[in-house]
Amino acid sequence: MDIAVDPITVEVIGSSFASIAEEMGEALVRASYSTNIKERRDCSTALFDTAGNTLCQAEHIPMHLGSFIGLLPHILKRHPVEEMRPGDVFCGNDAYEGGGTHLPDIVLAEPVFVDGAIVAWAVNLAHHADFADRGHAHIYQEGLRIPPIRLYRAGELQKDVLELILLNCQVPRERLSDLRAQMAANRLGVERLQSLCAKYGTATVLAAGRALQDYAERKMRAGIATIPDGVYRAEDWFDSPEITGQMQVSCEITVAGEEMKLHFEGPPQVRAGLNLVYTALVSAVYYAVKTVVDPTILPNAGLARPLTVTAPEGSILNASHPAAVNGRLSMCQRVVDLVHRALAEAVPDRVIAACNGACASATFIGTHPKTGDLWVYLETIGGGYGARHNKDGLDGVHVHLTNTSNLPAEALELEYPLTLLRYELVDGSGGAGTHRGGMGLRRVYRAEADCRLRIDGSRLRSAPWGLQGGLPGGMGGFTFSDGVEPFSLGQGALKKGQIVAVITPGSGGFGLPSGRPKDQVARDIAEGSITATAAAEVYGA
Amino acid sequence: MVWRIGVDSGGTFTDVCLFEVETGRVEVWKVPSTPDDPSRGIAQGIAEGIARVGAAPGDVGYFGHGTTVATNALIQHKGVKTGLITTDGFRDLLEIGRQKRPDLYDLQTEKPPTLVSRDLRLEVPERVHHDGTVETPLDEAAVREAVRTLKAADVKAVAVCFLYGFVRPDHEAAAMRIVAEEFPEVFACASHQVAPEFREFERLSTAVVNAYLGPVMQGYITRLAARVKDLGVTATPHLTQSNGGVIGFDAAARLPVRTVLSGPSTGVVGAQAIGKLAGIPGLITFDMGGTSTDVALLANGECRLASEAMVHGYPIKAPMLDIHTVGAGGGSIAYVDSGGLLKVGPRSAGAHPGPVCYDLGATEPTVTDANVVLQTLNPEYLLGGRMKVNQGLARAAIGRLAEKLGMGVMETAQGILSVVTANMAKAIRVISVQRGHDPRDYTLVAFGGAGPVHAARLARELDITRIMVPRNPGILCAMGLLLTDLRADFASTRLTLLEPAAGAATEAAFADLAAQADAWFAEEHIPAADRRITRTVDMRYAGQNYELPIALPEGPVTQASLDALAEGFAAAHRRMYGFVAEEEPVQLVTFRIEAAGSVEKAEFKPRSDAGPDASAALIGSREVWLPEAGGFVACPVYDREKLDAGNEIAGPAIVEQMDATTVILPNQRAKVEPYLNLIVESV
Repeated sequence: MDIAVDPITVEVIGSSFASIAEEMGEALVRASYSTNIKERRDCSTALFDTAGNTLCQAEHIPMHLGSFIGLLPHILKRHPVEEMRPGDVFCGNDAYEGGGTHLPDIVLAEPVFVDGAIVAWAVNLAHHADFADRGHAHIYQEGLRIPPIRLYRAGELQKDVLELILLNCQVPRERLSDLRAQMAANRLGVERLQSLCAKYGTATVLAAGRALQDYAERKMRAGIATIPDGVYRAEDWFDSPEITGQMQVSCEITVAGEEMKLHFEGPPQVRAGLNLVYTALVSAVYYAVKTVVDPTILPNAGLARPLTVTAPEGSILNASHPAAVNGRLSMCQRVVDLVHRALAEAVPDRVIAACNGACASATFIGTHPKTGDLWVYLETIGGGYGARHNKDGLDGVHVHLTNTSNLPAEALELEYPLTLLRYELVDGSGGAGTHRGGMGLRRVYRAEADCRLRIDGSRLRSAPWGLQGGLPGGMGGFTFSDGVEPFSLGQGALKKGQIVAVITPGSGGFGLPSGRPKDQVARDIAEGSITATAAAEVYGA
Repeated sequence: MVWRIGVDSGGTFTDVCLFEVETGRVEVWKVPSTPDDPSRGIAQGIAEGIARVGAAPGDVGYFGHGTTVATNALIQHKGVKTGLITTDGFRDLLEIGRQKRPDLYDLQTEKPPTLVSRDLRLEVPERVHHDGTVETPLDEAAVREAVRTLKAADVKAVAVCFLYGFVRPDHEAAAMRIVAEEFPEVFACASHQVAPEFREFERLSTAVVNAYLGPVMQGYITRLAARVKDLGVTATPHLTQSNGGVIGFDAAARLPVRTVLSGPSTGVVGAQAIGKLAGIPGLITFDMGGTSTDVALLANGECRLASEAMVHGYPIKAPMLDIHTVGAGGGSIAYVDSGGLLKVGPRSAGAHPGPVCYDLGATEPTVTDANVVLQTLNPEYLLGGRMKVNQGLARAAIGRLAEKLGMGVMETAQGILSVVTANMAKAIRVISVQRGHDPRDYTLVAFGGAGPVHAARLARELDITRIMVPRNPGILCAMGLLLTDLRADFASTRLTLLEPAAGAATEAAFADLAAQADAWFAEEHIPAADRRITRTVDMRYAGQNYELPIALPEGPVTQASLDALAEGFAAAHRRMYGFVAEEEPVQLVTFRIEAAGSVEKAEFKPRSDAGPDASAALIGSREVWLPEAGGFVACPVYDREKLDAGNEIAGPAIVEQMDATTVILPNQRAKVEPYLNLIVESV
């Protein structure tokens, strides 16, 4: 049944897939309402084949790969293909039954029909900033669990379903508008893919889709083959406001020819929203390996074939129902750090020092003083990006699995009763080295009305490590103005006029500090990224 | 006799287009550019050009100029040492930006260099809120101190940007006053002057880019004006902005950030004018050069104006034609990657060593080499015989790729074109389908050195049925300069809900903008009869963050005009996103005035129909590889210079001219229209 497609047609159809996924992403961002999507672009779009393999993912957020990987098998498990109709739209978010990695990521999937048969799927995900101020002992506390169910049946909105979802959301108006934008994005994807099939023939398009996966696999194999065979290990310590103390996590990577096995160990799953489901773990691993092997490999299912990823079931890195998963991202960032640290022994020039190792976030929840409506505002804050073998790291950016934008102060203050007092780099937080680690961020808010606040992050008790003699970067933290009641498990309240500062970690340096050229140290001092006293201490300058 | 002159100064050549008003005669002159100081090459081009047509410098009635000075200074980071004065707590915003890294997977990713170093970004106490109330008044002593520090550091430009400077500009204005008192010789600008719109980072970035480029542009303009004056040319010089309109040199020197797309905009304006003459209002421009390609869409003869774009990694809020650039052109290199697929670009062979067929030592095949092997380009010489090419070398280079791919040499050469065509089609989808336009409704205008040879394939890829190749595809930009109006844009952000009470706010906002426009008209000496004003409002559903520009009907603002805005918005939203949220409130965000002053423009005269017979222009025949026809096919070759109005050519055929080659495929038919543009249609 497979038809041969020449490499040029494959390349041309591959460009079209990318173009369709990107167009879906633009439509989603532009038509959406919530700040988390319209400004911060916390969403992703993709095309899938009927077996559930990714044909193409628009490059927004690598973490979202996990929600995409798991979705289709769950849809197919519940819904017979022969009962699906054009215009059916499936909606899901559950980490155990819905293919998601945490509940706020709601996925919409629509089958693409050509000549009466499903040939592919248009899928998109949006992180709905909702399900806020909840518990995280287990997933039932974290929000509404939605298995893949029809939100639209043959083009007809299922009002009952929609109303059930909206009543469980704190900001239903935003949810409804964002869901509409998600619908519009999928409609575009369906139409564009149908046109592509009409142009090249469905069989050719599908064969090209398979060829593109084979292609990604070949590139992955070619890249792995350039890493010396061997067994490489790394370990690290994880912390969070949700737990006391630190937990040890480790990985062991076996490189043999064109294949790579990655095994992770961590403590048993915890009663906190820190656990990873398996698809979250593999998203982190695919990302990490791709960055080392070849960053240009197409983001499709073929890249996973040469990789074997394992972790003990029921552990924090491969959690079982009903573990809570909301804050999985910080741990996923550490999985990437672990992979880089282990491979540093084999290919030091192709990895970087530890990044900020977290996804620091602040979620504000309150009742709007004017309208009486609930408001929820979530933001995630970047930090240091690790130093490279040949140059400094980046200051104040999102790292690894996420890349969401910040919200301008002028937009934030207009929409929410908050004032942004400072937004700046944290002096001294870049780890010293021949190449300096990137600096963390400080973002200081003042509440203009009473509200609740949830803070999240990591690297509060351990510093992001350097490589080859590079020193660790600065740690993260949260500080409050006088009178704020102590927070418990990252949750607490601010009264009108009270202030919170979120400080994100920096990142590690690369190479011995003594190797840093004098003029660069002088520039660091002039620019205030390190004090003269500290510079004298670490650089001997 | 009066001559109008357009000069487009590019990286390699400076093109001078001369137009004699009385006779309609058009002459073109090319001289090598002088990148160290482009004004030298321009002056030389003008001097030689007017001498060539036998005119005197005093005969020049108009001088229009498109330049890459600002954009090059930005790309090469050759602006001046710049200082910044900003709100306490926000000096790092310029560096943090939107906290995103430029590439998701590449661990070697780099952000573009920050244009003001951290030690020259100075904070002063002041704070305004979104409603314009002042929490902390401006500390003028701190500003004075900051200016003295920057002066001691020997900066050449100062940008001032405070939070909410667009809502309440008085803090910025006070700081500007202090800069003028303490440091009068420095180039200074404030965010509310450069981009009075919300979102602080983008406004800050625009103000900083403007300051960074200010002295560079001022120096260039001063030198150029002096050289032109020395030649004896008395006409006021004008410069193209990124919005496609021209402004006087003084205005350009104040707001250089508005000229960063000066070069590509002139090509779009040229295509627009030619489209108007030919009576074709819907155009997609396809300007393919050696290393990059610019595409733009004109609906009803107008190109969409973007109010913001990322230019060389820096966000700039300034009216810019919606031009999309891809890093692929005739010199782009083809290669087989580690997974065995054929890729083209973004690496380019440039002018040296250039394509393999130039025989200057290159070994990696380019798009041009593929065309030489396929014989779509002349396999013996290019540039009208000025340059010999070596087809054997090109074939050998492509042969090496073919071997890796397991395909034939000709199939591989054709494959290079298919891959390039797919990349171009992707770029055109961005400006058409992604903006709600169906490319099939448009005519593809192909220009630039490599546009006409690829246009036929590209049109097929997009199901576009009509192509227009201008008379002089290589110098359309210079010609565009003779066809453009004076134009300036004014904007202000005032978030207002669309309800009956919005009428007064709208009226007030536009009254302010109209006053600014009037001042500009007066500065440019535009008589009242030649002034034209277009008003638009950027609108969105309250809660959204991207606005759609909607035209406001002329006349006083009434309930009827507000209704027209509401209807216009609903229609535009439906076209873009496929739905309308009837129950949601609509918000007016940014009010804009586009002020245009008509100037006397070149008028081209149609030629009378010489009949369909093109045989007088037939100069030979060559075998061209056409997969559409199953292999090599003998194609007639025509000389563009000899084609006359009304002449028709059936595909397959090749039309050659000095600076371009046009391919006409089987089942296509070309006709020369009265202005000597070639119209290629599918039959």
